[in-house]
Amino acid sequence: MIAPAIDQTTTPAAISAAGLVKRYGALTAVDGLDLEIPAGQFFGLLGPNGSGKTTTIHMLATLVRPSTGRVRIGDIDVSQHPVLARRQIGLVFQESALDRTLTVRENLRFAGWLYNLPAAVSERRSAELLELFDMTDRRDKPVVTLSGGMRRALDIVRGVLHEPRVLFLDEPTIGLDLPNRRRIWRFIERLRARTGMTVLLTTHYLEEASPCDRVCFIRKGKLVDEGEPAALVDKLGRHILEVEADDLDTLKARLAPKLGDCLIDGDTAFFRHGEEDLSELAQLQTDTAELATAWRVRRPNLNDVFMWISAGKELRA
Amino acid sequence: MIARPIYAVLEREVVRMLRQKTRLVSAMVRPLIWLLVIGTGFGTVIGESRGIPYQSFLIPGVIGMTMLFGAMLAALTTVYDKESGVMRMMIIAPLPHFWIVIAKVLSAALAAILQALLLIVLLALLGFISAETDFALLALALLITSLACAGIGMLTASFTRTLDNFAAIMNFVIFPVFFLSGSLYPVQNLPEILRWIATINPYTYGVDLLKHAMLGSTTMAADFSRLTDISVLISFTLLAIAISSWRFSRETAYEPMIHRLTGPKR
Ligand SMILES: Nc1ncnc2c1ncn2[C@@H]1O[C@H](COP(=O)(O)OP(=O)(O)O)[C@@H](O)[C@H]1O
Ligand SMILES: [Mg+2]
Repeated sequence: MIAPAIDQTTTPAAISAAGLVKRYGALTAVDGLDLEIPAGQFFGLLGPNGSGKTTTIHMLATLVRPSTGRVRIGDIDVSQHPVLARRQIGLVFQESALDRTLTVRENLRFAGWLYNLPAAVSERRSAELLELFDMTDRRDKPVVTLSGGMRRALDIVRGVLHEPRVLFLDEPTIGLDLPNRRRIWRFIERLRARTGMTVLLTTHYLEEASPCDRVCFIRKGKLVDEGEPAALVDKLGRHILEVEADDLDTLKARLAPKLGDCLIDGDTAFFRHGEEDLSELAQLQTDTAELATAWRVRRPNLNDVFMWISAGKELRA
Repeated sequence: MIARPIYAVLEREVVRMLRQKTRLVSAMVRPLIWLLVIGTGFGTVIGESRGIPYQSFLIPGVIGMTMLFGAMLAALTTVYDKESGVMRMMIIAPLPHFWIVIAKVLSAALAAILQALLLIVLLALLGFISAETDFALLALALLITSLACAGIGMLTASFTRTLDNFAAIMNFVIFPVFFLSGSLYPVQNLPEILRWIATINPYTYGVDLLKHAMLGSTTMAADFSRLTDISVLISFTLLAIAISSWRFSRETAYEPMIHRLTGPKR
């Protein structure tokens, strides 16, 4: 039988990493990571604080040398040709990379020169991108005067001014309030729609990563699971039931025969429910009314997926 | 290829310098105070130094001072860049990282030259610039002295993690470099140990070259030959750039930028 003509050797992945390890003394920050991200994909690297996301991004982006392992951006070997690799990538750091004493325009002008863009090109692209992010009126304002959300948006504009093929976004929403986090996600969506660039994003707000094409969970530098967000969430069930009770053990014993395994966090138990129909849950609520002090039913999200995986449980209820 | 990134760093330095008016004003006032207060005071005590009035002897020293302070402060913005994050913008740009060091050295030298030129204009208006000045040599001296001062600044910056210890840098780098040079008195008149220190201080050779340029071709005030001055200044600058680039190219140089939130508590 002849395989369909998708030839991996002529269309290399946008980002590929094999056996990536980074040790800091006794600490292994990244522990044997393999990644293969096709061109155009929106990829989420998810994990709690300290799980090795930033270290991974910096290795992919030529800034930190892996202890072992190999990274390619397109067909460029990152450790052999770091400058060529950097020409292909944009990186928005977890922390701001702007000069607060300069204006928005001056910052972008500076970034444009650094990427060897002619002044006219950098001026035109800045204008377009600021328009895309609804920031045109901030152009001549000093960066100090921008809100946190605006500043992050400007950081992203700065990171894509040279039209990179691959964009790394390290925690683009960290430290922002909910409306601003939503706005940043909207901006990323617009940018992807316009340029079709490959995007690798990290976040420890796992639940917000559902717009990604594919996510991968890491913990202590190791990959724990990966997949398409909707499929992962579906595997978990249709609903998550959160119940609070003073006597959790009794409640758990009562619900387990019907709902199966649960996770315990403080005085809250999390159960999965596989059916769309809520009548079974309603019945159980009535039956346990004297035990439960709170009862919430909601849709599962990627954070639940991560919690269940981390607890070492099968996703399927 | 590399011209635009270097221009970016130079332009930013000039924009910031012009915006920080107090930095510019104090760069002019400091040397004038030295010249008028110390120069007049010491002048009455010392009288002549190597056959010229003490105040005139001091002119190359105060121009050197402006360059030293100007270049040091500009080069030390590299530490500010690391702390504030602008350096992140530079290390992710597609250029070998030693160019960042070179660009910062050039921009610090440029800041120093501009300040020195401004001071020279002021001094000329006050009648302190001698008619015997060799302007071609002066131009060369300004250029390579400011580069050497920028080199001192860049070396300091590459061994400094935060600007919290700026006072320490003032006390243990800038002041010693200035005082233990030929700026205030001829090197040959210094006690032996200080003379020895002044001889290994690259800045000494910058001031010496300025003396050659400004105090007349037959001056006795200079301590070394022009050729010695020029070779020492150029060699030192190259060495300083090499060491700073090496310091900078190790990835630990990025740690302060990468580890504000997640890094080990310092
Ligand atoms: N340069 C370094 N020196 C020592 N430890 C480091 C260094 N860089 C990262 N680490 C450690 O590696 C782990 C992973 O860090 P990081 O990649 O920043 O995680 P994340 O971005 O997922 O929060 C953390 O425990 C962090 O303290
Ligand atoms: Mg991080």
